[in-house]
Amino acid sequence: MARYGFAIDTVRCVGCNNCSLTCKVENNLPNEIWWNRAMTVGGEEEFTAGADSNGSLYLDYYTLSCQHCENPACVKVCPVGATWKDEETGIVRQDYDKCLGCRMCMAACPYTGVRSFNWEEPVFELDFAVGDASVPAHEKHAVEKCVMCYHRINAGERPACVDICRAGARFWGDLDDPTSEVSQIIAKRAHKQLLPEMGTKPSVYYLV
Amino acid sequence: MTSNVASPARPGGKGLTVAIAVCAALALVGVGFWMMQLSGGLIQTGMRNLDNWGLYIISFMWFVGLSAGGLIISSVPRVFGIKGFGGISKIAIMTSLACTCCAVAMILVDLGNPLRVWELIAYSNLSSPLMWDVLVITTYFVLSIVYLALTLRNEKGKTSDAALRVVSAICLVVAVLVHTVTAWIIGLQTSHELWNTALMGPWFVCSALVSGTALVIFACVILRKVGYLKLEQAHLNNMCKMLGAFCLVDLYFFGCDLLTEAFPAGSGAAVVDMLVAGPLAPFFWAQIILCAACAVICFVPQLRRDGFMIAAAVMAMVGIFCKRVQLIAGGFQIPNISDAFSLTSHAVPNFEGTLAQAFSGMVYAPTALELIVFAGVLALGVMIFLLGIKLLDLKPNEKSH
Repeated sequence: MARYGFAIDTVRCVGCNNCSLTCKVENNLPNEIWWNRAMTVGGEEEFTAGADSNGSLYLDYYTLSCQHCENPACVKVCPVGATWKDEETGIVRQDYDKCLGCRMCMAACPYTGVRSFNWEEPVFELDFAVGDASVPAHEKHAVEKCVMCYHRINAGERPACVDICRAGARFWGDLDDPTSEVSQIIAKRAHKQLLPEMGTKPSVYYLV
Repeated sequence: MTSNVASPARPGGKGLTVAIAVCAALALVGVGFWMMQLSGGLIQTGMRNLDNWGLYIISFMWFVGLSAGGLIISSVPRVFGIKGFGGISKIAIMTSLACTCCAVAMILVDLGNPLRVWELIAYSNLSSPLMWDVLVITTYFVLSIVYLALTLRNEKGKTSDAALRVVSAICLVVAVLVHTVTAWIIGLQTSHELWNTALMGPWFVCSALVSGTALVIFACVILRKVGYLKLEQAHLNNMCKMLGAFCLVDLYFFGCDLLTEAFPAGSGAAVVDMLVAGPLAPFFWAQIILCAACAVICFVPQLRRDGFMIAAAVMAMVGIFCKRVQLIAGGFQIPNISDAFSLTSHAVPNFEGTLAQAFSGMVYAPTALELIVFAGVLALGVMIFLLGIKLLDLKPNEKSH
């Protein structure tokens, strides 16, 4: 029994989207689908600074993907259990073969845009599959999202996004194990969580 | 009640048959476009990841509401043993049945994988409000059929009044549940500020009473005009007064909700802004004006003439439709996380600018395909109702309630 989660160092994150791209390759994501993306805290446009009321500029980045909540709104509302919380790992998983395509989970998830629907037959940039061979095939009219590289965790590896981060801004591990890297950095550093008022208890911590 | 007995001539004739055929043809066109949507993908709709429900769910909730009036107008007088509305009970139940079929059809066309609906039985997740709704709508649909059948048998003296009264009491409870549970699909979600209010359930019941009563009045006035039934104006007057009252209660609920959102001047103020002066404003003001105008017509005796009553009924139904648009589209109109990121064509319909630009107008607008499929479902509903008129003995008689 573990409760895997992430810590994202927003001080170190430069919004380079390396994690997003690695995720895309590792999971053979169709065109237009991103399970993870860098968010710009600043101007209206990506990678531009915003100005506060005193005229000072600010520019920050963080990454957004499924928060693998302890109390996931999506799992509760799926009428057929096509999205569920894995007891062993705490990962919120997806079953494309079961998904009715009702999109109730997308409506219930407070984290804007972390869930993607395949609005058409998946189209791929390359005419051969990339990434890990054990990743389930993407399906038209099924909802998908970050599954924390379940296949890699099963094989004793870390999620691909954590391995690739050049800024060393991503930490991953068992939140219930106080000796894990992720627990230790959360214990040491000031952090916040996204939309805590929703009561979802996310498993992603943002170091500030 | 002999004065209510209509002429014994067979209903309709050629006109009715042609109308049924036209509706069937339109419904088939809708099915054709639905097949197109399934093969080409829901990408052909205006829905995207950040506005993942649209016209289909809006009209699902609208049809669920429309189905209320019939069942409630026919069951309330019977349950409480008070005078009815001139024997229109069977016609009212028929409108209810037709609308329930439309509601179910709307859900089917919204699904990405409709062939997997059997999973609802095999893998039911009973914690999902959507699953509750499936259960309660199925019950409601079956009960409406049983209620109509029993009413017909009762008039032939085959079923006792007591049995019918028990069934109508159950129907009444289930009708209230249907609207409440449908409201809970959105009302129990914290994800969208507009949705998450305890008022949602009672408010849905009230909106259902508005649109449902309007539909029964609409059907009765037209059926009286074409000579299908004789109905004393007094009964229509009573229904109109009810409709007017329901309209005002609905507006009152809306007022309560808006004030509760706006008063703390927190994030709820943005919701009120969006409705009152933002992208959803046309629907907001249309609803307020239509429902208020409907109430005026309903309350002024001189205005309760056929043309005005039909207009009032249409205004009430359109007004409630506008409310459904505000609730569903409005729910998605304010993203919880609005920091900039690379938009893709699957994120929002207008993905070429920034997120703020994509949300500056209405983030969701239906495509022609969605409108045609909606028209097809509407035609299906009219067809079912007309088939009822043609094949069943729905005319009021001495025993009708």
